[in-house]
Amino acid sequence: MRSWDSMDDFEAFLDDGGLVEPGDAMPDTYREAVFRFIELHANSEYMGGLTERDWIAKAPGLANKLTALAKTQDEIGHAHLLYMVAADMGIKTRDEMTVDLLAGRTTFHNVFHYRAYTWGDQIAIAYLVDAAALASQQAVFKNCSYGPYKRILRRIIAEEGFHMRNGEELLLKMAKGTSQQHDLMQEGIDRWWWPSVQLFGPDTRPDDVLLRWHIKSERNEVLRDRFVQKMVPQLTAAGFTIPDPDLRQDPDTGRWISGKIDWDALKAAIAGRGPDSERRLRDARNAWDGAAWVRTALDEAAAVPA
Amino acid sequence: MEAAVLEAAVFDAVSSVCDPEYPDVTIAELGILESVSMADNGSVVRIELVPTMLGCPALDVIRRDVAAAAQSACVGAKARIEVVFVADPVWTPDRIAPSAVAFMAREYSVAVRSALTDATCPICGNAALEHRSDFGPTPCRSVEWCPNCRNPIEVVGRVDIAVSA
Repeated sequence: MRSWDSMDDFEAFLDDGGLVEPGDAMPDTYREAVFRFIELHANSEYMGGLTERDWIAKAPGLANKLTALAKTQDEIGHAHLLYMVAADMGIKTRDEMTVDLLAGRTTFHNVFHYRAYTWGDQIAIAYLVDAAALASQQAVFKNCSYGPYKRILRRIIAEEGFHMRNGEELLLKMAKGTSQQHDLMQEGIDRWWWPSVQLFGPDTRPDDVLLRWHIKSERNEVLRDRFVQKMVPQLTAAGFTIPDPDLRQDPDTGRWISGKIDWDALKAAIAGRGPDSERRLRDARNAWDGAAWVRTALDEAAAVPA
Repeated sequence: MEAAVLEAAVFDAVSSVCDPEYPDVTIAELGILESVSMADNGSVVRIELVPTMLGCPALDVIRRDVAAAAQSACVGAKARIEVVFVADPVWTPDRIAPSAVAFMAREYSVAVRSALTDATCPICGNAALEHRSDFGPTPCRSVEWCPNCRNPIEVVGRVDIAVSA
């Protein structure tokens, strides 16, 4: 077990690229910040998995159903690993985290507070939301100071890359399809563009401890800008438009500049007042309650001596 | 191009195709690539792959990546490419090359449990992992917990093929 004499020593250790391990005597404020961050990530993977699950039955064709099945398995599996690491930090048990999530006491990402109505929405999620989430996770992984979290991120990133590739293939298929497919896809982009841009969050504050303690490695606005620079040309080349009437290109640098971002929409969604928050949480509660007998059966089986 | 030369060129090309979920481990190292052979009097290049699991969701992507790699090695040749997943032999974790086992442990903290060797924690070497779930983010990996270094560990190779004591 390592310990540090002062916060300055601890921060110097982090700045040198040091990895904190579970047995280390880390400062309580650091432990709390890392825990909250991982809990939010775990909640988001879990809620994302439940959303993906809806599409196992609804996705068109066997190949797309298998993909939905695999992605559901990925998201729930990621949530499981993250909850294990979070619970080990000794602040809340896994059950407490679940209960808090279902009661609306903790949060999950804004994008899971919106409803996916059509297959076009689902592809827009795979293309835009998965790309945004992957970019954020890559930035966390790059400089992550908490060892167990960094190791899980390594695998999550490899798997999410596979999802993004799937999103790109599906989007191009729709782009080359009938006018009806094209319109369905455009409607999906129109619904999911802004929530994806907002997912990165408002500009990072100068005193952000997540940056100082190497939980995040890049500022929100930098990641958000990179996303816009990548997505605008790709979507335009595929024949789609961006639902931002004020989007413009800087004549000197050629960089794309977004119109005003509605941060109130982000705040409302995260606070559980998004367009689909209520239904999403109700579904999650139903899934939890409906599986109560499985947990009981597993507990009882474990209690029987071998 | 002569059949044997073409066969070797295709084998080389498809050997370096990477697994979609381990972007820097090849299908040859994972034991997914079974054989490359010429069929129908040299008009067909037949590539046989062994799926790690029949229900693996990545099979289609692997098939396409392999076909594309084979195609690039066949430029100028008239042979048609055929990529098939075979059910015999059955894939087991023993087919993973030692170099890939070491790489997966180091880079992904993923352990391998085969008939030859039991899984140990890829982070601290502890041999007493605690089973938590038969399936992890992918159906070919179980989730275990290392009580020594306190990390969740994913293990390739199902519990039911664990080395018997």
